[in-house]
Amino acid sequence: MVFNSLQFVWFFLLVYALYLILPHKGQNWLLLIASYYFYAAWDPRFLTLLIASTLVDYTCGRALGRVQSPKRRRLIMWLSVGFNLTLLGFFKYFNFFADNLQALFAAAGWRVDFVTLRVLLPIGISFYTFVTMSYVIDVYRRDAEPTTNLLDFAVFVAYFPHLVAGPILRASRLLPQIATPRHITSPQVRDGLWLIAWGFFQKIFVADNLAPLASRVFAPGAHESGINVLLGTYAFAFQIYGDFAGYSNIARGTSKLMGIELIENFRFPYLVRTPQEFWRHWHISLSTWLRDYLYIPLGGNRGSRWQTNRNLMLTMTLGGLWHGAAWTFVFWGVYQGALLILYRSFAGARWFERAPRLIAWLVMFHLTCFGWLIFRAPSFSQLGTLIGSLVHHFEPSTIDVNGLLVPLLLFTIPLLLVHLWEAHADDLLVVPRLPVVVRYTVFVATMYLILLFGNFGGTEFIYFQF
Amino acid sequence: MRGLVRRVLLLLAIAAAQFALFEIALRIWGHSEAAPSFQALFMPDPVVGYRLRPDARTRFVTSEFDTEIVINHQGVRDSRDIGPKPPGERRIVVLGDSLVLSVQVDERQTFCRLLEERLNRAGGPHTYRVINAGVQGYGPVEELLFFREIARSFDADLVIETIFVGNDAEEAVGSAPKLRAGARPAAEALSDSLASRLRRIVRRSMVLQVVRLRIVSVTDRLSNWLAPPEPPLQTYAAKPAERIAQGLDISRDCVRAIADDAAASGARTMIMLMPARFQVDDADYARLKQSVQQLGGELVRDAASERFDRALAPLSLPRFDALPSLRAALPGPDLFFQQTVHLTPRGHAVVAEALERFIAERALAQPLASPHSGS
Repeated sequence: MVFNSLQFVWFFLLVYALYLILPHKGQNWLLLIASYYFYAAWDPRFLTLLIASTLVDYTCGRALGRVQSPKRRRLIMWLSVGFNLTLLGFFKYFNFFADNLQALFAAAGWRVDFVTLRVLLPIGISFYTFVTMSYVIDVYRRDAEPTTNLLDFAVFVAYFPHLVAGPILRASRLLPQIATPRHITSPQVRDGLWLIAWGFFQKIFVADNLAPLASRVFAPGAHESGINVLLGTYAFAFQIYGDFAGYSNIARGTSKLMGIELIENFRFPYLVRTPQEFWRHWHISLSTWLRDYLYIPLGGNRGSRWQTNRNLMLTMTLGGLWHGAAWTFVFWGVYQGALLILYRSFAGARWFERAPRLIAWLVMFHLTCFGWLIFRAPSFSQLGTLIGSLVHHFEPSTIDVNGLLVPLLLFTIPLLLVHLWEAHADDLLVVPRLPVVVRYTVFVATMYLILLFGNFGGTEFIYFQF
Repeated sequence: MRGLVRRVLLLLAIAAAQFALFEIALRIWGHSEAAPSFQALFMPDPVVGYRLRPDARTRFVTSEFDTEIVINHQGVRDSRDIGPKPPGERRIVVLGDSLVLSVQVDERQTFCRLLEERLNRAGGPHTYRVINAGVQGYGPVEELLFFREIARSFDADLVIETIFVGNDAEEAVGSAPKLRAGARPAAEALSDSLASRLRRIVRRSMVLQVVRLRIVSVTDRLSNWLAPPEPPLQTYAAKPAERIAQGLDISRDCVRAIADDAAASGARTMIMLMPARFQVDDADYARLKQSVQQLGGELVRDAASERFDRALAPLSLPRFDALPSLRAALPGPDLFFQQTVHLTPRGHAVVAEALERFIAERALAQPLASPHSGS
């Protein structure tokens, strides 16, 4: 069940109607049942994994609350982390590693037949395993109190707005909101409605309309000129942003309507001037997760420059692999790590600090887009073809004005206008706080744009596959 | 309370102002088939329902093409008028739907015009004129009525009845009442009920047309929810709905009537079967097959072509199927547009070449010995 489906609209209206009349405990039961139904709508078999993950980590959390011995506490923590990584590794990476090992042996002249399994990827597994792992690690570190209420914990893990594509929430943020009675305020309703509308706009108007432009350029075997590859890459940059930020906004909006506050997951990521800033503004819940549970435990920036660079590269490479079991994702992670290291080496240099802001932004935007080229390319050979077109066959005269440029501008300019406004005010909720005439004007225009030009094909969100 | 009323009024005022802005913007820049400029190509017709408006012209631009559409004084897509047939001229009238009209390509790129060029290039004592008598949205019933009302007067030597195998059987079922209704004035059909007045208002507004389509889509999805939807593309279904057989029968009756009328005027008739894009495009086929499967159906790729071929066989008219030549042209540049699923200039060229060969091999452009001798 995707957010941009009629099925979800009815589902949410029904759940919300019941939610408003139920007492606190009833609301939590409702959220749990609704979340399990929401998840089972994709494939009921995978519900067992979600429940297993919930039970294991709840038990580990409770055990950590009782046990004082550091050795035993570490053992429990690793038990939970091991369980989650095994789950993730098997369902997400088994075929990837088996295929690659087989290819490696074949290259060495050994014919090895591994057991090949048709392992289906359970939707959202990368998200909920990270959520539950962070809970156990936080309890282990004594950064969070273990919950003794299984219902609250199960809701925390399965809570449907964030279940399949994040944001990756921390227990310290969400569990207290689940455990205590919630009061829905009128600003929450106003902001929630705007976030839902804006999220749908980002998904249906921006992302789904730009998808065919990107698909055309990135199609296997496609041979577009460099200028058209560039436009297709811009289209993908805004498609993936609209898709993922749209999902996060709908998740935040629906949560606000229920009196629950989720974290911001995107904050004008394409207006930044360095990769460090980019990762503080793009998929914030993942980058902070990687920082807190991988980069800092590896040593962070506390060691030598070499050690810091190594930690950055390891973190970003694993972050790339998190996105999918393919070498292009790994390469994208390496590229992001390299950018972070490169910009780190520039820090303090006079020329760098004095670079015009516009130039710095332009360079960073195109470095980000080059990253998306790696990310979206279906294979390395196709990536080579695309880069070849950009470098050797740019051919500005072949620009496809009607097929690429006009739709790209049409579907990104309204987004960018609001985006710039939000950035100027440094507030993602600037629109609902505007004077009533302006607010209504933006709101009505958003509705018209969705209604008149939205792509109602109901395609899934890109991040579901991760 | 007063504050709430004021806010609602403000919201409505803003919505109305933006409605006007979007309407103006869409009329100026929004090139689509719902645009008034495109709709102006058509006019109501008391017999057929609607037809192309004589002497209309418009420019039709989408992300895939940019074409100038000119309708001549006789009401077909041709920049030249159709007068009395000069001596030595052979005329071919091509009846059909949007696949014949072909608003996606320039007039000179349509298979009709390309066929004409090819036939004339061969030389000989005759000149050839191929008349594109296709109209968007027509099915066999409308094509028969249009032939009787308009195209018969073009004094054809050969009539090509183009069947789009993808939906003509379904359309024939939907349009069959027109055959019984006879000459029912269009004005009468549009009674002054509230619903029809509303419909006319909606049709005049581009914004409302889109809103109407959205509402139809939502209600369709709702009804699909309440009752399991019928898998689409029934003419291709392994087990088609009963109405498909009925549609094939109606189509055969219409083609027979066209052939009889043509023969009465001394013209031969042939049938051209036009395939749907997915019959040529493998990726499209895989996607549609899966969609149909998800709805509990089974898509048989060439079932519609075969069904029409069988249904029309008893008429003993020459039948040309464009599918093999389109398939033989693969791989290569696109034969169909991606979004509009109509033939590209290359697709038209492929059809024209194969059609010319078919006509020449059977000497179909030669006049009949005498009128009323049958085809």
